[in-house]
Amino acid sequence: MIDLVQNTIDGVMIGSSYGLLALGFTLIFGVMRRLNLSYGPSIMIGGYVGTVLYVQYGAGPLAVAGTMILGAAIAGIYVERLCFAPMRMGAGIASMVSSFAIWMQLEQAAILVLPRHTYPFPPLTTGAPLEWGPFLLRLDHLIMLGCALGLTAAIQFALYRTRFGLALRAIIGNPVAAHLVGINVSVAVMLAFAAASAIGGVAGFLVLSVDQQVTPMFGMWATLKGLIAMMIGGLGSIPGAILGGLLLGVVEAHCQWYFGPQIRDLAAYIVLFVFLLVHPGGLLGRAPGSDIAAPRTP
Amino acid sequence: MLDVTDLVTAYGKIEALKGVSLQVEGGKITCLLGPNGAGKTTLMMTIAGVLQPRRGSIRLKGAELAGLSPARIVSQGVALVPENRLVFPHMSVYENLLAGAYQRHDKAGVNADIERMYARFPQLHERSEQMAGTLSGGEQQMLAVARALMSQPRLLLMDEPSLGLAPLIVAEIFNIIAELNRDGTTIFLVEQNAHMALQVAHQFFLMEQGRITFKGTPGQLAEDEVIQRAYLGTRRAAG
Amino acid sequence: MDDYLIGVLSNIGVISFIALSAYVLLLTGEISFGQQAFFAIGAYAAGIATALWGWPLAAAIVWGAAIGAGSAILVGVPTLRLHGLYFAIATLAFAEMVRILFELLRYQVLIDGEWVGPNGADGFRNIRYIFENDISSLQFMILIYAVLVATLSMFLLLERSRLGVIFRMIGEDETLAGLQGISVARHKVLAAGIGGALAGIGGGLYAHLTTYIEPRSFDVMLGVHSLAYGLIGGLGTAFGPLLGVLIDIGLLEAIRALAGYRMIIFGGLVAILLIIRPRGLLDEKLVHKIGRMWRLILPRGGRVKLGPSGEKI
Repeated sequence: MIDLVQNTIDGVMIGSSYGLLALGFTLIFGVMRRLNLSYGPSIMIGGYVGTVLYVQYGAGPLAVAGTMILGAAIAGIYVERLCFAPMRMGAGIASMVSSFAIWMQLEQAAILVLPRHTYPFPPLTTGAPLEWGPFLLRLDHLIMLGCALGLTAAIQFALYRTRFGLALRAIIGNPVAAHLVGINVSVAVMLAFAAASAIGGVAGFLVLSVDQQVTPMFGMWATLKGLIAMMIGGLGSIPGAILGGLLLGVVEAHCQWYFGPQIRDLAAYIVLFVFLLVHPGGLLGRAPGSDIAAPRTP
Repeated sequence: MLDVTDLVTAYGKIEALKGVSLQVEGGKITCLLGPNGAGKTTLMMTIAGVLQPRRGSIRLKGAELAGLSPARIVSQGVALVPENRLVFPHMSVYENLLAGAYQRHDKAGVNADIERMYARFPQLHERSEQMAGTLSGGEQQMLAVARALMSQPRLLLMDEPSLGLAPLIVAEIFNIIAELNRDGTTIFLVEQNAHMALQVAHQFFLMEQGRITFKGTPGQLAEDEVIQRAYLGTRRAAG
Repeated sequence: MDDYLIGVLSNIGVISFIALSAYVLLLTGEISFGQQAFFAIGAYAAGIATALWGWPLAAAIVWGAAIGAGSAILVGVPTLRLHGLYFAIATLAFAEMVRILFELLRYQVLIDGEWVGPNGADGFRNIRYIFENDISSLQFMILIYAVLVATLSMFLLLERSRLGVIFRMIGEDETLAGLQGISVARHKVLAAGIGGALAGIGGGLYAHLTTYIEPRSFDVMLGVHSLAYGLIGGLGTAFGPLLGVLIDIGLLEAIRALAGYRMIIFGGLVAILLIIRPRGLLDEKLVHKIGRMWRLILPRGGRVKLGPSGEKI
């Protein structure tokens, strides 16, 4: 019983970082209706900038976080300008494949600059975990959860209460009409991409600082976790992204504890697969076929 | 007010506009007639900057619009009410109006204008918190007009505002068009419903296969036999 | 021919099958991130057949293809009700499930005092059919290309046939195809089955080429690569995905001076290529143009005349 609760607590904490990854993914998908496979690798590039700063100049966690988020955002803009902005309407698969090509490019660039397989990453806090009855709460996990909830609230506010949010929702609703009311769609989309990658950068920083290391494989890991959490939560839904992340985290934590890492990964894909077959709209998304969540078929 | 000269817009190798020239006089309602596929919507989208012309010029009071982004064209005082209305379906009526004023920074003025729109279109007031996608066709058309007006345009472009609407609603829309014009807005209208257009417009152009083939006043239009048969005859021309 | 060249060419041949497999589904307008699952299934099935059951190679490859097709149809029936991104992610989830199941699969038999067979994440060693039967690497390469040519000929015939036209119609506009009385669902499952068989053949050949397979080789990377080949080479003809493989593995692997920069150059080139030609090098327009020139050059008579979209006149 204690294990069950402790696992659930850990799952929620880790899941909040999955939720953050999904959040950035959802934002990009909402604005572009296209899949950015380079999402994770952009974050990984941020992580590499962070580790260089940490290893070479002994920067503290906050400075590393700042540069990592900035690095991810810049890499995100690079991907958007190269793979998404120049593509005409209807070239959805081309954008996706192009973003995959850039994934390969970013990964190799990371290996070229730092050829060892792993590099250290600064821990967020070395403080002792909080004890709460028989349960342990890790401080860095708590920060993770706090950041996830705070950022979700901030994004909801930005989308529904600011001029930029209005522009993004207009673009999501109808890109042509967004042009006609005088929104600079190209710039808005680029900024949305940068913001989404920055959110991914926050998530990536939190995960890496718990792991205390970064590898080139982190890009693929982040893309996959974000994708799974986004689809489970429901394509196009922001609260769904967070909930999807939490559910994924809890399922993984239990499976890891009872069955080991292989079953943990298997379970994540089974949950995703079953959701897609039985309820493709996910936890909170609109069912596919309704206009906003429906991906354009190529 | 608007001078279009020798405008060419192409999709790949196919020229949809093959050298279009026309003039829209300030303070008037100008109407562009023509069959489907003539290039009317392409012309509207080109003026609004969504499509880029290959050649030719679009001058608004002498200032060149061709080549500008849609956002810049809105800031020059041109607003388009697009074909099929294209409201933002998952935003409320109020937010749609707010989006229409995207380039304006005078909050008080924007709020006053929204109130003015509500007074002119009472249905929109009633439904201000409703998602625009759930409005009826006529209400969406009014919302699209109101949204365009929120940018305080000098020139209002309207692409087939009567499309798919019931006759009573069409009459209402045309009343609004006449009213807006009386209040001083210059209007350039694309229409297939020539009967309705004849009642409000001051100047007509006819477009066929990417070219302007007729220019005249309502009187001249009504006298032209070919146009009579195609657009004003007892049977509507093959649309 | 030196061993290195034979190795690269064999690799190109084998990977071409999985590229073709992703291409069949692209024809019907669906993106699959999961063709590597059927490649893996074919590889394991054919490897088990020769190494553990002592089957001849030909039977093992056919068996791998059959299992590949069967599992693709089985997964296709429920997943092809989904569209676009939903289908793509479902195939990804399935393929990852298959990969992890192979990590858990232990099925070993004692042969000549040695344990042979899949051993979980450690992979499946000693698929030694080509050594035991004295097949040289050159001979095996020729075998791979013979199978590829045969498959490709059938594929080109298929593209010219009614079925090929139907696949493209579904890819262009599913709703419209449905209104024409085409059973969209059944044809998509058929395309998935063909794709599964192609990947299965490729997998079977791959297992015997490398003699050692491990689940890790069949990850998402392989799947997305095989999808990308069609887009790079072009969606206008079955030669497109092959061209894609050739460019990636052939051209870039061959220029060894680029070693550390290969992906940096490749990634950039692909991104730029897709801006200029969003449907690949050999896209429909170019293929149509080449087809017209071809017919001009060829003397009249003796050939079936083809209309603009490839139908017989």
